[in-house]
Amino acid sequence: MRVVIAEDSVLLREGLIRLLADGGIDTVAATGDGPGLVAAVREHRPDLAVVDVRMPPSHTDEGLRAALEARALMPGLPVLVLSQYVEERYATELIGRGAAAVGYLLKERVADVAEFLDAVRRVAAGGTVIDPEVVVQLLSRRRHGEPLDSLTARESEVLGLMAEGRSNNAIAGRLRITDGAVEKHISGIFGKLGLDPAPDDHRRVLAVLAYLGRV
Amino acid sequence: MTAEVVVTRQPPLRHRVPLGPRGPLGLLVDPMTWRAAPYLLISVAFGLAWFVILSVALPLSLLMIIIWVGLPLFVLTMLLWRGGAMLERRLLRLTLGVTIPDPYRPRPERGVARHLGWLFGDPATWKDLGYLLLLLPLGLVEFFVSMVLWACCVALMAQPVLVALGHTTVITDRLVVDNLIESLPWALGGVLLLAATLYIVRGMAWLHGTLAVALLGPGDEARVMHLRASRARGVDAAEAERRRIERDLHDGAQQRLLAVVLDLGRAQAKLDSHPEEARDLLAQAHAGTKAAITELRDLARGIYPAILTDRGLDAALSALAARAPVRVDVSVEIVDRPPAAVESIAYFIVAESLTNMAKHSVATEASVRVSRQDDRVVVEVRDNGIGGAEPRPGGGLAGLADRAATIDGALTVESPPGGPTLIRARLPYEW
Repeated sequence: MRVVIAEDSVLLREGLIRLLADGGIDTVAATGDGPGLVAAVREHRPDLAVVDVRMPPSHTDEGLRAALEARALMPGLPVLVLSQYVEERYATELIGRGAAAVGYLLKERVADVAEFLDAVRRVAAGGTVIDPEVVVQLLSRRRHGEPLDSLTARESEVLGLMAEGRSNNAIAGRLRITDGAVEKHISGIFGKLGLDPAPDDHRRVLAVLAYLGRV
Repeated sequence: MTAEVVVTRQPPLRHRVPLGPRGPLGLLVDPMTWRAAPYLLISVAFGLAWFVILSVALPLSLLMIIIWVGLPLFVLTMLLWRGGAMLERRLLRLTLGVTIPDPYRPRPERGVARHLGWLFGDPATWKDLGYLLLLLPLGLVEFFVSMVLWACCVALMAQPVLVALGHTTVITDRLVVDNLIESLPWALGGVLLLAATLYIVRGMAWLHGTLAVALLGPGDEARVMHLRASRARGVDAAEAERRRIERDLHDGAQQRLLAVVLDLGRAQAKLDSHPEEARDLLAQAHAGTKAAITELRDLARGIYPAILTDRGLDAALSALAARAPVRVDVSVEIVDRPPAAVESIAYFIVAESLTNMAKHSVATEASVRVSRQDDRVVVEVRDNGIGGAEPRPGGGLAGLADRAATIDGALTVESPPGGPTLIRARLPYEW
């Protein structure tokens, strides 16, 4: 797998390159700003771009905008966005543009190497990865008398993991239950929330996030 | 995305009549007009009274200064006219709807000389005198203009009724109104004159109000003193904030990182001799580092939330509400983004209010509303808790009030025991 990295902190950039290399992933270009990312994507046409949100020159959401620009240049380019803070608003902006192959994670998730590499592979394969923090924010925005209140504790857990972009198999592994049980919970959730069952993981994430965030 | 708090209130009558708030019908049904009209008729009486009182008392006391009695008499007169001005301010608020705070300097604690200096040295005293003396000529003009206009309106509009009662109006030898058809154009003229009168009355009220604000109002001096005091408190608040950040860094992330480096050092030493223990220490250091990062992130967010710069109040307040322990509805109804300083103060007012609520109020739900009223951003935080919140010196709410004051804003707390609590800040839109 060939990856382009845009991250302005040299320490973290070098760390990421080494971390990915340990996982057998090649970094073909590493840059420290938005225009650099767009240029690198144009030149290398990578399998994945790993992008920091806050970069020079504006130090606001430079990376987010560069990532969207890179995707316009190379439609379907998988993008994993890293950020010092995660905010539900950014997540919905990213997802709201109809994005398959998008990830949005807190920077510090790189500390759990295996988990992080798994996320990288999932995004590169066209999946969606959403940071648990965002899911917590989304779930906390519920209002009284909503169908969400009627979910059982287990169903809520499953919903949260679905919103993070996990597959049935991963959810089963995480909760130590069988795949069949996961499927049962999921159909229960979709029934209670009035959502149409979605054929694949990616469309399912979109449906769940749209429901939670009302995008 | 914004949770909705829809406050539907029927707009006042003057907004619902045809031709809107500034049209003749709007003015006709606006209570402001009917409060101003009688004032314009009677202000001449006050003007006359003050003119008589002052034109007797002032020369008398000035003359008697040579035999000392004059000075106390003069001071008495001065207190009298200041009282008159205070009365006038309250009357103006009732009638013309202009709110003018009393602009006087605070009274010194003791000492005759200081009290005299306080009375004589305050420009507000002399501006009060000027206003009360101006009230007579001003009142005369207002009285005659509005008297003539109202009388003509009534007389013209009453023509059809008078004719119907068998009355004849002789305007000149040639111009006599004595039948219904002839009277109608006169009545129509009366209606047009009424419309003009409404505008003239409101115009005079506005002029009078403006003059009163200039002469009876605090002027720049009080504002400067207020700003100076609040700036000083703002600086103190900023200092306290820096000390808090230093303490948080010292007690939090720094201690955690020290523990991590200690674990790593021990792991290094045990790597060869006790690899199992070294692995546990590494895991511990890993967890410690993650905790330190989380702590630093929360601290940085508390200093300044990045999303506020990037996406403005709506996004930042929604994120804040999502982290609150109870349900918080957020409604941001402003379109243009105010300057960064205003946004930041609005954000921290909401943040601190929600923190307070979580700590003390036992509330089960809250709402945050940001709206625009003329040139002000109004931030309101309500909760359904037990109330009893009040700003204490050095406390969070007082700090917020100081922060608001540094940009010429104001914070009010309504929190009767038993609740509910409403914290409202009015901040300038332009800064």
